[in-house]
Amino acid sequence: MKDKYILKKDHLLPLLRKLKKKHRLIAPLQNLHGDTLFTEIDQLDNVRLDLANQPQNSLKRFFFPQQEVLFTYRNPTSDSYRFETAAEERPPSLYFGVRPCDLSAVLYMDVVFSKNARDPHYLHRRQNTILVGLNCNAPFANCFCNATRNGPFIDFGFDLQLTDLGDRFLVEFDRSQGQEIIREWQQFFAAADETDVKAQYQAFLEARGRFSQQVHLDLAARRLADDQVPESVWQDLSMRCQDCGGCAYICPTCTCFTIRDRQTGDHEGERIRSWDACTFSGFTRMAGDHNPVDRQMRGIEKRFRHKLQFDMEKDNRPSCVGCGRCVNICFGGTDIVLFIKMTCGENP
Amino acid sequence: MAGLATTFGSGAMTNSINEIENAQVMLVIGSNTSEAHPQVARRIFAAMDRGARLIVVDPRRTLMAKRADIHLALRPGTDIPLLNAMMRIILDDNLADDLFIEMRTENFYGLRDMLFRIDLDETARITGVELAGIRAAARLYGRAQKAVICYCLGITQHVCGTGNVQAIANLAMLTGNVEKEDTGVDPLRGQNNVQGACDMGALPNVFPSYQQVDIDDFREKFERAWHVPLPSQPGLTLMEMTHGGKDGPLKAMFIMGENPMLSDPVIARVRETLDNLEFLLVADIFLTETAARAHVVLPAASFAEKTGTFTNSERRVQMVRRVIPPLGQSRTDADIIMELSGRLGYAMDYESPAEIMEEIAMLAPIYGGMQHDRLENSWGLQWPCWDRSHPGTPFLHKYYFTRGKGRFVPAEYKPPDELPDDDYPFLLITGRIYHQYHTGTMTRRSAQLCREAGEALLQLHPEDGRRLGVRSGDLVRMRSRRGEVQVKAQLTDAVQAGEVYTTFHFSEMPINLLTSSARDHFSQCPEYKICAVHLAKV
Amino acid sequence: MHDILTTCVYCGCGCGVYLHERRGQVVGSSPSRNHPVSRNNLCVKGWHLHEFIHHPDRLTQPLMRKNGRLTPVDWDEAMSYAARELGRIATESDGKAVGLLSSAKCTNEENYLLQKMARAALHTNNIDHCARL
Repeated sequence: MKDKYILKKDHLLPLLRKLKKKHRLIAPLQNLHGDTLFTEIDQLDNVRLDLANQPQNSLKRFFFPQQEVLFTYRNPTSDSYRFETAAEERPPSLYFGVRPCDLSAVLYMDVVFSKNARDPHYLHRRQNTILVGLNCNAPFANCFCNATRNGPFIDFGFDLQLTDLGDRFLVEFDRSQGQEIIREWQQFFAAADETDVKAQYQAFLEARGRFSQQVHLDLAARRLADDQVPESVWQDLSMRCQDCGGCAYICPTCTCFTIRDRQTGDHEGERIRSWDACTFSGFTRMAGDHNPVDRQMRGIEKRFRHKLQFDMEKDNRPSCVGCGRCVNICFGGTDIVLFIKMTCGENP
Repeated sequence: MAGLATTFGSGAMTNSINEIENAQVMLVIGSNTSEAHPQVARRIFAAMDRGARLIVVDPRRTLMAKRADIHLALRPGTDIPLLNAMMRIILDDNLADDLFIEMRTENFYGLRDMLFRIDLDETARITGVELAGIRAAARLYGRAQKAVICYCLGITQHVCGTGNVQAIANLAMLTGNVEKEDTGVDPLRGQNNVQGACDMGALPNVFPSYQQVDIDDFREKFERAWHVPLPSQPGLTLMEMTHGGKDGPLKAMFIMGENPMLSDPVIARVRETLDNLEFLLVADIFLTETAARAHVVLPAASFAEKTGTFTNSERRVQMVRRVIPPLGQSRTDADIIMELSGRLGYAMDYESPAEIMEEIAMLAPIYGGMQHDRLENSWGLQWPCWDRSHPGTPFLHKYYFTRGKGRFVPAEYKPPDELPDDDYPFLLITGRIYHQYHTGTMTRRSAQLCREAGEALLQLHPEDGRRLGVRSGDLVRMRSRRGEVQVKAQLTDAVQAGEVYTTFHFSEMPINLLTSSARDHFSQCPEYKICAVHLAKV
Repeated sequence: MHDILTTCVYCGCGCGVYLHERRGQVVGSSPSRNHPVSRNNLCVKGWHLHEFIHHPDRLTQPLMRKNGRLTPVDWDEAMSYAARELGRIATESDGKAVGLLSSAKCTNEENYLLQKMARAALHTNNIDHCARL
């Protein structure tokens, strides 16, 4: 088959070892405590690559860190400022085992950080990266990427994409960098035949049938756009919200940030950018303490409208990728799936 | 903690935090759980989503109270009459667990005699809560198969704090809600390692694992281990140390990572005490209000720069791991103590915190099986953990209470030390808020937390605001018999008319200038929840 | 970037939290998914746990009061003065005039050492912490 290849599972580690020579390698690793996180691999031999569980973090922090110094400044005299941007080395990086939801989220962030204004910090981190994806044969308990239409399989946006076929991976490429890898390390790749492609399609059909919940995202989005969400839904959910910001922080597509300056010495300081959440009251509070958003009544409205209405109007797709991470983390149970269900009049 | 020690024999949370999720009825009393213990509130809300019912006893309409099935907005300081009335109703309605009382407790008749003397209408008058509400709460709690009581400093920071806790323990034992999984009495600890500091014997009367210093067997055990004679007389408590004033008992103090200049009642008295010391040594990560008065300040390492263990509210001992080396010349408190002790002529030689823990395990029976290697490879262990093969103890008092039988200690109403009068007509309640922690030395250095809540606000009922001509955002002068502060008002019906609420996190508005030094006789806990104040618009 | 699991310091719940270390700086915090308390989320304080660690106000040098002002000194000077004063007052009063406050924010090991030093080196039981506040 043209442009489809087979990589034996036994050859995955040897291939990663080769790739690691030229790239910083980031992959989902299960640590000693049993948590699975995307982690930079120092040493391939002593790590547990975990392709069975959903990583608890997305790739967001690698490109858009929780907290970063944008620049430092010095003003030795009152009328002169000297600015310095920490020019950071970015060796070529390879992200391995990225699920369709997280991959879609990176593509979404690419747009956010380059469309209207180019964000040099994001783009600097993003350049020179290779994304190696992994299709989801078995969605996790809270997944609903079938409703957001970017999973469980994806066919664009990656450099290389893997599909688990039991003892082997079916490999596809979408970008020249992926093609380059296949060409450079051709000893690892064999051409796929028709059985392999059929097996991939079979895996896709089975995966699609394995979602544990039906989420009527389109219907909820329509009701939002038509302003048909009952007031009680906003109030119920806002009252349950406990103001932790966790949903926005864990979300692979939430890109709000705040900026502040911090004095580090008598005549020097730094400008820091860090994640922010629209659910915080300080996010909308204005000078003079006026706050157009009553957190208790409508605190979470903006978040859901942004994901399901504003981005829908702009790009004709939601900016929720259906990863389900916000579902089981919520302190009060105010997650997006519950919102959709309540909006559609379902009994949660 | 004295209250639970006298009734159950052990002053700690009887459950694990996760068990709360499985309760059928939760009684939250004197705890603003969603702000001070968010993870506990998360379990309570999860239980409610599964059909559990919530009773909240709090003078304020907190978020917990708003979501509660029953909210009893009692007059501050009247917890004992309220709880006693609930117990009386439970007895009258035959909801007491007779078998449990018979098998597992003692002095039931002492309690019963006291309860039968109660006049329920009188209770309604004292507490300001309608009898129907108390009755509904009593029946809901009394009928539950699995019921949990969570309480916090709203119970203990009263002159009758010990009595409050005893009343709670009585209620739980009366209905048999103690010994089983998913049921119990859970004091939520305010600070991250309060439980551990108590367990380690950072208390004037006990060695690690609550072994009393004035009991010869215990003292001799430590003398043998430490190769030195030890003092047998219990020492001074915190309030005795920091409130001695000019003629106080102390000439020198070493304060490690505490800030009594903001956290202790009657700050003026603390200042006088510290300023009259011949020598004050402070080790801290920031120059706190206390450190600024010291003769020598030692730079300490933060929790991210050291290895060790913390013990959480549910008695879970877990690892703190070093992420970066100590900043600048700072050193861990352990290194500071070891060097200081050596210079004092008592050598301490530990190659690592793990070695210290090995010594703790040998001397403190409840930590007997806790060594760093075991804690490293688990999510921590809950004490008591007697030896290396012991799996830890998720809930306490299974089959028997720590003290043998649970003891009913009847608690009688004791009015607060200072109530509003004509000169000081408002009742001030102090507490914590969600975005700040303790004296704010750490949280106030987080820009985002300060953006959310960066200054102290005085919660004031709109009716009172109208009468005083105060609107939200106005500055109010608030004074008590001990001091005066200025604070921004926030009108809200979360407080009742005649009551005001604020926090102690902010050094610009040191509310403990105002609070009273009255304290519980047994636990020495100050009455932070009640004092009388006068308000005027600035 | 390295993620190191530790325990949150902001309340008695005791969440398992990862601190993110990058080039000697703590640059982020996130919850542990499988930790029995944090169960995949932190409160707002926990999510901002890393922010105070590198704050410019951190004390990084011993200070000693000289002519009424706190002045930077080296460890040896600070320690020898502290040990001399504490030792003198403890000896003169047989431990009765010295008092120690331990900390509910320090580790168990440190609390253990401080009460041991109080009792064994300074011969006093005047040790407490703010359990009641």
